[in-house]
Amino acid sequence: MRKNVLRGISLGLALVLAPAMLTGCRFGFASDPDDPNEEVKEEPIDTSVDTFEYDSALSGTNITLLNSKAEIQVALEKMGEEFEKKSGVHVEVMPVTDDSPYTKVVSLYNSGNPPTMSILDTTDVIALAEEKAADLSEEDWTEEAEGYLTEVNGKVYSLPLCIEGRGMIYNKTVIEDALGEEFDPDSITTLENFTALLDRLVDAGIEKPVSMAKEDWSLGAHHLQFVYETYDGTSEGAQEVIKQIKDGTMDLHSYDRMQEFLDMFDVLKEYNVAKGDPLGADYDEMAIDLADGKTAFWFNGNWAWPNLSEAGAENEDAYGFLPYFMNNDEDDFANRQIQGSPSKQVMLDGQIASEKEQAAAKEFLNWIVYSEIGQQMMVKTCNLIPPFQNNPYEPSDPLSRDIYEKVHEGRAFNASAIVPNDHWAVLGAAMQKYLAGRSDREELITSIQEYWDEQE
Amino acid sequence: MKSKNNGKDFCIFALPGLFCFIAVVVIPFVYGVYLTMTDWNGVSAVKNFVGLKNFGGVMKDAQFWISLLLTFKYVIFVVVIVNVMAFGIAYLLTRGMKGQNFFRAGFFTPNLIGGIVLGYIWQFVFSRVFVNIGESTGWTAFEVSWLSDPSKAFAALVLVSVWQLSGYMILIYVAGFMGLSEDVMEAASIDGASGWRKMRSIVMPLMMSSVTICLFLTLSRAFMVYDVNLSLTAGAPYGTTEMAAMHVYEKAFTSRQFGVGQAEALILFIIVACISGIQVYLTKKKEVEA
Repeated sequence: MRKNVLRGISLGLALVLAPAMLTGCRFGFASDPDDPNEEVKEEPIDTSVDTFEYDSALSGTNITLLNSKAEIQVALEKMGEEFEKKSGVHVEVMPVTDDSPYTKVVSLYNSGNPPTMSILDTTDVIALAEEKAADLSEEDWTEEAEGYLTEVNGKVYSLPLCIEGRGMIYNKTVIEDALGEEFDPDSITTLENFTALLDRLVDAGIEKPVSMAKEDWSLGAHHLQFVYETYDGTSEGAQEVIKQIKDGTMDLHSYDRMQEFLDMFDVLKEYNVAKGDPLGADYDEMAIDLADGKTAFWFNGNWAWPNLSEAGAENEDAYGFLPYFMNNDEDDFANRQIQGSPSKQVMLDGQIASEKEQAAAKEFLNWIVYSEIGQQMMVKTCNLIPPFQNNPYEPSDPLSRDIYEKVHEGRAFNASAIVPNDHWAVLGAAMQKYLAGRSDREELITSIQEYWDEQE
Repeated sequence: MKSKNNGKDFCIFALPGLFCFIAVVVIPFVYGVYLTMTDWNGVSAVKNFVGLKNFGGVMKDAQFWISLLLTFKYVIFVVVIVNVMAFGIAYLLTRGMKGQNFFRAGFFTPNLIGGIVLGYIWQFVFSRVFVNIGESTGWTAFEVSWLSDPSKAFAALVLVSVWQLSGYMILIYVAGFMGLSEDVMEAASIDGASGWRKMRSIVMPLMMSSVTICLFLTLSRAFMVYDVNLSLTAGAPYGTTEMAAMHVYEKAFTSRQFGVGQAEALILFIIVACISGIQVYLTKKKEVEA
């Protein structure tokens, strides 16, 4: 009897788990950084030249780095190893697994065991800076990152780790194959041009040429924040417009950027490949669709490269960004430039960490910025676009390269809106409702206004 | 003799357990109640006492009441379906049918899979498998993902929870049925009771202790649902399937209003405690000895 039950249980288990294992590989995240089967093509790092001066007194110190950018976890560990070889300082890289970065760092602080350094979003740094962080205003690298620093009451508390940009990713080959002619992305400068191009693609057989994610972070943060960021294309401008919306001096209903943003959003909605069920769209499938040529555009940022690469795109392929077109004015910067700004920040704990640990952490940050090895690893191993002018290396994937070139040619605007932490979640839901066609402009704008009215 | 040892026995047997209970249940609970009366944001070193202001915040948080209402709806569906199904299946599985041990194990296994994993598996089923079936057969019910329509997403949540919870309840009911005394059953038959009459007058009263446990377990688990909610729908589409526990978490950690979130958690606790208390009291009254 007992044996029978056991046999039954094991058989039942096997039956239930077998399909789970078979499907396991298909619903995982496309860019799973922990996947040991994933082959990472890596550019070799030249370690022969190293003029960086290491402080031998710091050798043997242990510091920790909390990493909230999952796709560079392995790369950061390699950087840590390399740094330890040279300096003797051990850097333990801790991933943020299931929590939000902020929740994780706060719980570590509350348990009295915070990481020496944490990679966080700008909003999180601002929330924590004065209470927990060490003042970094006097560090040399602040001069190299001019224009990309985040200041809290005139002081710098964080190192900008990378520049990230977003817009309409295009697959040039697909467009050229469909139209049978050369495609010049710079020739598209207005919403009208863009719509005309989409129509031509539809005529050429690409029925629905656009992919857009249904995820709330994409809709609520990456789409919607254009409303604030295109005010005048600066972070200060974005703060100004948010202030005006909050105190009621700006009426969102009559704010021209709000309507223009929705004009563009409506166009994307109309040509959306998942138009029949926009909230059922699958993120991993979008990368595959773009790489395979089922679609020609995908609204996303340069962080989407690992997904595209997994879907079969090569470093030599022609991908790039079009701006998020707001209107039909050729001279409007929003139609000419793509958005690119520092996104992740490294904050240094100033509360619990000992002076020696802080010094070691500062050395690590300097090493990233100034040493030949650190500079190379930032770009080649981590695949980041560093905001530091002294870094001579160029990123190799087409998306980062496009952002890099546009930043250096002045064809990108550096604006990132600082919004409350739940902005993406609350307004992402409102945007989802609009995307699904279950609310109209009026209702959407009212819910945005209500959200801001509730903020203190 | 007995009284002499009492102190020592208490120290040896009760203190370790008591210590653990106080450390991980009582202290955090009291601390949590204290937090509802502060304006703590989770980070700052100072916690200002604000009295009952956070409870005012709860009143104003319309979304909390909406999600609480949704949770009630969910609990009713889950508790009723799970218990009716589990009772029925357990009844069938104790009648000596062929392969019943295999079926018992089979029904129980979903319960062994963690809620998060289960949610992801079903998410795949609803948004890919069903849609593919819909595309190839033309069945309109499966044409678009269930998870992108508010009422279908809710139905999906209920379905998955029932699938997960029933196995456990089946096990308890099976144990209950196996414990029924043969003598009593035989006596009932001899007295001429059969079918429905036997079920209502003999089996049901004797099964009440199992019902008490099962109702209590399903009630509390359904009220506190979080893992399946998070991995299956994450509140999608547009926040319409966000249950109370998930809303509390979002309020505290995403919106960074610890005080209000904690106050909402406390209200949720009181509601669940009251309802399960009343349920246990009522069903216990119906229990009989054979």
